[in-house]
Amino acid sequence: MGMLEIIRLTKHFGGLTAVNELELNINQGEIVGLIGPNGAGKTTVFNLITGFLKPSRGKILFYKEDITAKKPYSIAGKGIVRTFQAASVFPDFTVLENIMIACYLKPKIGFWEAAFHLSRYRRKEKYVLGRALEIIRFVGLDEIRDVPARSLPHGYQRMLGIAIALAAEPKLLLLDEPLSGMNAEEVNKTKILIHRIWEMGITILLIEHNMGAVMSLCQRIVVLNFGNKIAEGSPDQIRENGEVIKAYLGTMKYAS
Amino acid sequence: MGMEVSGLIVQSVLNGFVLGGFYILVALGMTLVLSIIRFVQLAHGEIYMLGAYCVYYFSVQMGLNFFFALLISTFLVGGFGILLEKIFFRPLRGDFLRSLIVSIGLMLFIQNAVLVTAGGEPKAVPTPFPGVIKISSFTISWERLVVLIIGLGLVVGNLLFIHKTKVGHAMLAISQDREVAALQGINIDHISSIAMFLGSALAAAAGGLVGALFNVEPFMGGFALMKGIAVIILGGLGSITGTVIGGLIIGLLDGIVPPLLTTQVASLIGFGTIILILLFRPQGLLGHE
Amino acid sequence: MNRQLKLNRGLVCLILIIIPFVIPLFTKEIYTFHILISVGMNIILATTLRLILISGQLSLAHGGVMCVGAYTSALLVIKLGISTWLAIFLAGLATLILAFLVGFPFVRLKGIYFAIITIFLGEMIILIGEQWKKLTGGSLGILNIPRLDPLITPGGVTLNFDSKIHFYYLILILSISIFSILYSIEHSRIGLTWKGIRQADFLAESIGINTTKYKVYVFAISCFFVGIIGGFYSHYMTVVSPRTFGFLFTIYPLVYMVAGGMEKFSGPILGATILTILPEIFRPLKEFQPFIFSVILMLIIFFLPEGLIGLPKRIIHLVSEKDGNA
Repeated sequence: MGMLEIIRLTKHFGGLTAVNELELNINQGEIVGLIGPNGAGKTTVFNLITGFLKPSRGKILFYKEDITAKKPYSIAGKGIVRTFQAASVFPDFTVLENIMIACYLKPKIGFWEAAFHLSRYRRKEKYVLGRALEIIRFVGLDEIRDVPARSLPHGYQRMLGIAIALAAEPKLLLLDEPLSGMNAEEVNKTKILIHRIWEMGITILLIEHNMGAVMSLCQRIVVLNFGNKIAEGSPDQIRENGEVIKAYLGTMKYAS
Repeated sequence: MGMEVSGLIVQSVLNGFVLGGFYILVALGMTLVLSIIRFVQLAHGEIYMLGAYCVYYFSVQMGLNFFFALLISTFLVGGFGILLEKIFFRPLRGDFLRSLIVSIGLMLFIQNAVLVTAGGEPKAVPTPFPGVIKISSFTISWERLVVLIIGLGLVVGNLLFIHKTKVGHAMLAISQDREVAALQGINIDHISSIAMFLGSALAAAAGGLVGALFNVEPFMGGFALMKGIAVIILGGLGSITGTVIGGLIIGLLDGIVPPLLTTQVASLIGFGTIILILLFRPQGLLGHE
Repeated sequence: MNRQLKLNRGLVCLILIIIPFVIPLFTKEIYTFHILISVGMNIILATTLRLILISGQLSLAHGGVMCVGAYTSALLVIKLGISTWLAIFLAGLATLILAFLVGFPFVRLKGIYFAIITIFLGEMIILIGEQWKKLTGGSLGILNIPRLDPLITPGGVTLNFDSKIHFYYLILILSISIFSILYSIEHSRIGLTWKGIRQADFLAESIGINTTKYKVYVFAISCFFVGIIGGFYSHYMTVVSPRTFGFLFTIYPLVYMVAGGMEKFSGPILGATILTILPEIFRPLKEFQPFIFSVILMLIIFFLPEGLIGLPKRIIHLVSEKDGNA
């Protein structure tokens, strides 16, 4: 079922065209990979989908609703949540606090309940704490849950970033290079995590340079180069595609 | 009747240029200091005030020639600025809030030092250049003209220094990217001290010139500080031409509006414009950050 | 935090709350109460400033906001004859509305620019106060503002507010109420959200937090209480003029907050108390008092980066180091 429709999406930065007439459909329940050399426009596409950038042209529909150029928080509220490559966590918070702030969307708390810590508020907080602990366990971070995020090794910070996005109850999860900077053990852990998230029914759009991971995780792959979509298909099709190989000449990583 | 009005207009415009000159001097000094220590140094207004009092002291109490007094004062206060940076701001580099509070502490200290030693009543510096000159049918006082010329000279001299000398280029480099500048072999501490000296000297010169035209009193610094910040924002951080234009605009505002309305209205228009600029064009008229 | 620690904390808080209530038993010096009332006002100003800072914004408009509160309350009572209590509340409402009006455009600005625009906002408020003579009486201000209307306590006692001690109790109760509310909010999920916005506002937006709304709300809540204090001030001092709000009530709360310590809720409270009382202790030195103040201030900034709050820890550190070497 069509979840996300990207129609003729274009973004100019002065004289540079970062994204050019992109057409892309994501169906519910898929894991789609978005790959391409550095500078191909992948993160720009994420920024456009999630409202951090306004498109120069084009439309983005989420379940048929036009979300083009809406504010990021409202797009997140509709169920599209993304991770970031840099600044992926709240550095001064503990792991637990990082998740708890992301459990923001529901249940809603009002100003007066918070000001006076009414029993209704305390019940909601208990629920939120429970959810946060569940997510921490699911992601595998519960041994370090009271550690400040800035002290975590890089790989764990990225996993925490995914956990934060998860806590925001996404229907569509946009992961921006979740495996970058990770060692082999962390890569494995995260690959399994991504797969388990998908099994929960969450649709995933994944930017990654780690080709082994992309090939094994994704059912469909979209390839960008200089802002244009140059190929789309199953992992096998993409692997054989001449255009893709040309674009990537010398820059591909076959890590698994 | 027409003569009087046009005479008033000319006076107001001239006042505007004079004020603009002061504001530019203060703002240029502030920009130099800002680019080095990277926060708004609230005691800068007090540096300006110290310049005014030094000139008063040397020219009135010690009877020195006005220009001489101005020269000594700028050097003295410039050196004082170097000391301040070394002792108070360098150790706290990077910690914005604590630097800010230290500058507040300095501001209080300096204000009170002057208050205690010189007394709180405004002091007048007798005009070093009495008399007026007549250009066609308008009269302009000599002192205004001289102050204007000195101010202009200082601004131009400063601009030339920054753009044409090696040291000036080094300052520009540091203000843009400290680390890259260090990598290029620029001695950061050395150049920082020079910039602090220049910045403080400019403010002191402005204070001295203001003292010549108006009065000196211990709390004149706050006014200069506000105007300086306004000019920098209007002109745009990092743009020296912007500072000059911004200073002229605000100076002319403060010259032309008060005779018609009040000083409050002039400031209101000025600050209101600043707020609008911050909201809609934060880089100011010519800034590029 | 374990039980014992919580109990100790609670006990200390209780003692600290009871002490101010019994001070009037030990002294009737009018001037002492004037100082204590100033302490009360400064503490609230410093604490509200810190609240805004939690969300990553530095507001330097407190003076102007307080001016709006003071004049609103004074004018409502003088021109419309309403009860002073209602007027003070409406003063808070007025500053709340002002905060919302300017807040939405202002909070888009990052870091130092937000601070600068609030400086100009504060200054413009004061200039308007000086200029709009018809409404505000211009630079000379308003005189003879009525003191607070008499209040009949549950015990049947009538407080006429002709004595500073009455004002003292009022500001004491106001402080405790305001602190409880602000403390609760800060330690709720709302406070957590503010702290998150300060650390990574893009990240916060991406998980559904309307950062603009939160930033405006914290600004508005703080301005509400600053407005209330403004109203209190006008009926306590009975005179207001625009310039008095220019410098003191903007810069000093900032100083109290940083010197006291920004990490903890109690930092500004400690900073405001000590730094308000300090000048009074050195009052006999007359004109040299401001020197002492600024020197002590700079000593605190240089040697206590975490603020006065960190002093006990430092002393313990020093003492234990000495023992280690012995």
